[in-house]
Amino acid sequence: MKYFIRSVEALSRWFGYFAAVLLAVAVIVVCHMVFMRFVLHESTSWQTEFVTYTLLASTFLGAPWVLLKKGHVNVELLPLMLGPKARFSMALFAYTVSFALCAILTWYSFEFWYEAWEEGWSSDTIWGPKLWKVYLSMPVGFFLISLQYVVDILSLVTGRCRPFGIPDTETLLGAD
Amino acid sequence: MEPLTLGALAALTLIVLLMTGIPVAFALGITALLFLVINDGFGSFIVVAETLFASLDEFALLSIPMFLVMGSAIAASRAGADLYEAIDRWLYRVPGGLLVSNIGACGLFAALTGSSPATCAAIGKMGIPEMRKRGYPASLATGAIAAGGTLGILIPPSITMIVYGIATETSIGRLFAAGLLPGIMLVGLFIAWSLIYANYKGYSFVEEDKSFSLKDKLIILPKVIPFMAVIVLVLWALYGGVATPSEASGVGAMFCIILVMIIYKVWRPTNIWDIFSSATRESVMLMMIIGMAGLFSYMMSNLYITQGIAEYIAEQDLSPWMLMLYINIFLLVAGFFLPPVAVILMTTPTLVPIIIQAGFDPIWFGVMLTLNMEIGLITPPVGLNLYVINGIVPDVDLKTVLIGALPFMLCMVVGIGLLILFPQIALWLPDTLMGPAI
Repeated sequence: MKYFIRSVEALSRWFGYFAAVLLAVAVIVVCHMVFMRFVLHESTSWQTEFVTYTLLASTFLGAPWVLLKKGHVNVELLPLMLGPKARFSMALFAYTVSFALCAILTWYSFEFWYEAWEEGWSSDTIWGPKLWKVYLSMPVGFFLISLQYVVDILSLVTGRCRPFGIPDTETLLGAD
Repeated sequence: MEPLTLGALAALTLIVLLMTGIPVAFALGITALLFLVINDGFGSFIVVAETLFASLDEFALLSIPMFLVMGSAIAASRAGADLYEAIDRWLYRVPGGLLVSNIGACGLFAALTGSSPATCAAIGKMGIPEMRKRGYPASLATGAIAAGGTLGILIPPSITMIVYGIATETSIGRLFAAGLLPGIMLVGLFIAWSLIYANYKGYSFVEEDKSFSLKDKLIILPKVIPFMAVIVLVLWALYGGVATPSEASGVGAMFCIILVMIIYKVWRPTNIWDIFSSATRESVMLMMIIGMAGLFSYMMSNLYITQGIAEYIAEQDLSPWMLMLYINIFLLVAGFFLPPVAVILMTTPTLVPIIIQAGFDPIWFGVMLTLNMEIGLITPPVGLNLYVINGIVPDVDLKTVLIGALPFMLCMVVGIGLLILFPQIALWLPDTLMGPAI
């Protein structure tokens, strides 16, 4: 199980790196577009769409890593008010329900992707990329978030991580 | 079921889910799916992937990560410290010296980053220890920075305003321009309060032991001016309609990275990774909320809840000012619990048509909403800035910060009042720069 947890966490981390790289690519492409348009006075065709899709991919693929880093903002008011046992149950509930959402979204975004792939949809612009390439980040991203949630639940149940990553000594009024 | 009953149930479900500590984005998504399935069965799920994708498939959203990259490039360097130092060297003779320069530094840094916690952290790290060393009480020092930090989402560029602009289909450039004067007004109110209080308590005004020659004052400028120039250029491109927010911020991000590489020698791969990883974290978090909020508002309008609430409010026949009062109270309370971006995405699809109907200007409303959200940033239980301050000075407890921040909160309420009485504070600049709204 330790091996499983470590591999999933490594996977999430690698996709996190990749999401950051995608963002860097977006910066460069936007600058290229501005240069083409305002300095060379040429029209641009693919850049606007490309960076929009890059950001989408960066979002979905980076999400499992942000989950690993506890970076998805949440309201910790009630968990902080509760004792360790209630806090544990609440974390178990929160992780499980979130896992369910991500699992459902994995399935339905997979279907969406599969349809685009089967039917050979492409974007109705001059550039017109195949949409399955664009949609792919969604099922992959949600699958990885679901996996990361499985790991979070396992880590919680085995005591490897504290509920919500909050130290046991911390309460609403700061750490004791 | 009646749309209003459904709406109340959906709101209740969302609140319960949020309270259990589920990330805001996922709580929105779960509520959306749950009510879709209750109403239409599992068949309604076939559209969720497409809806989610469509709510993020928007070129203007790119300005969010671009401004985040800009901000984290500046935050990763010593730019914040130098900015602080520069303002101190130029303003140390102004009465009320240190407090004034701290609040001013917050305002300027807000213009550089567009994020409240970043402003709070950058200026607080320098300002709070310095003020305490000079004998200012911890509550005043921390309260001023916590409040000053909130300027980040009001003074352009502002991530919150970008999200509002996209959600309500109003011009981001216009919103940015509208935020500038109210931002300066708030800085003025904060400074006024600080001076009154410092005077009352008898804190020293001029720091006699400090003196800077003209050379000291000039030598620091080359480090600060280039960043200010980038911001001015980005905003100029926006207001002038030369470039879209995404283009302007993308170029701004590139320039800021180049500047920190040249001025602060931030060029090692780990430094660059730090810049992009912190921007990616924020960007993913915000974009997930935006996407899931898209699902949420799809559910709300598919179940006629949005329309139901709008009709209900119209039937109440409230005077516009009572309506505005209720909306303000509602926003304030929502801001206590939720991050600004979530509040905007969840409420504006319903609220903005109502306020337009009542004869208010959506740009002006965006500024007012942002002011409400600023208050939420320094109030418990989820006042982000309070925790940032707590991280900087762990020896000052939250209660002290809160007491110090309270008068500044009242300044913001006064600011909201002024904005309601004189909408021109927000609307004059965009109307003058970009012509009257159509």
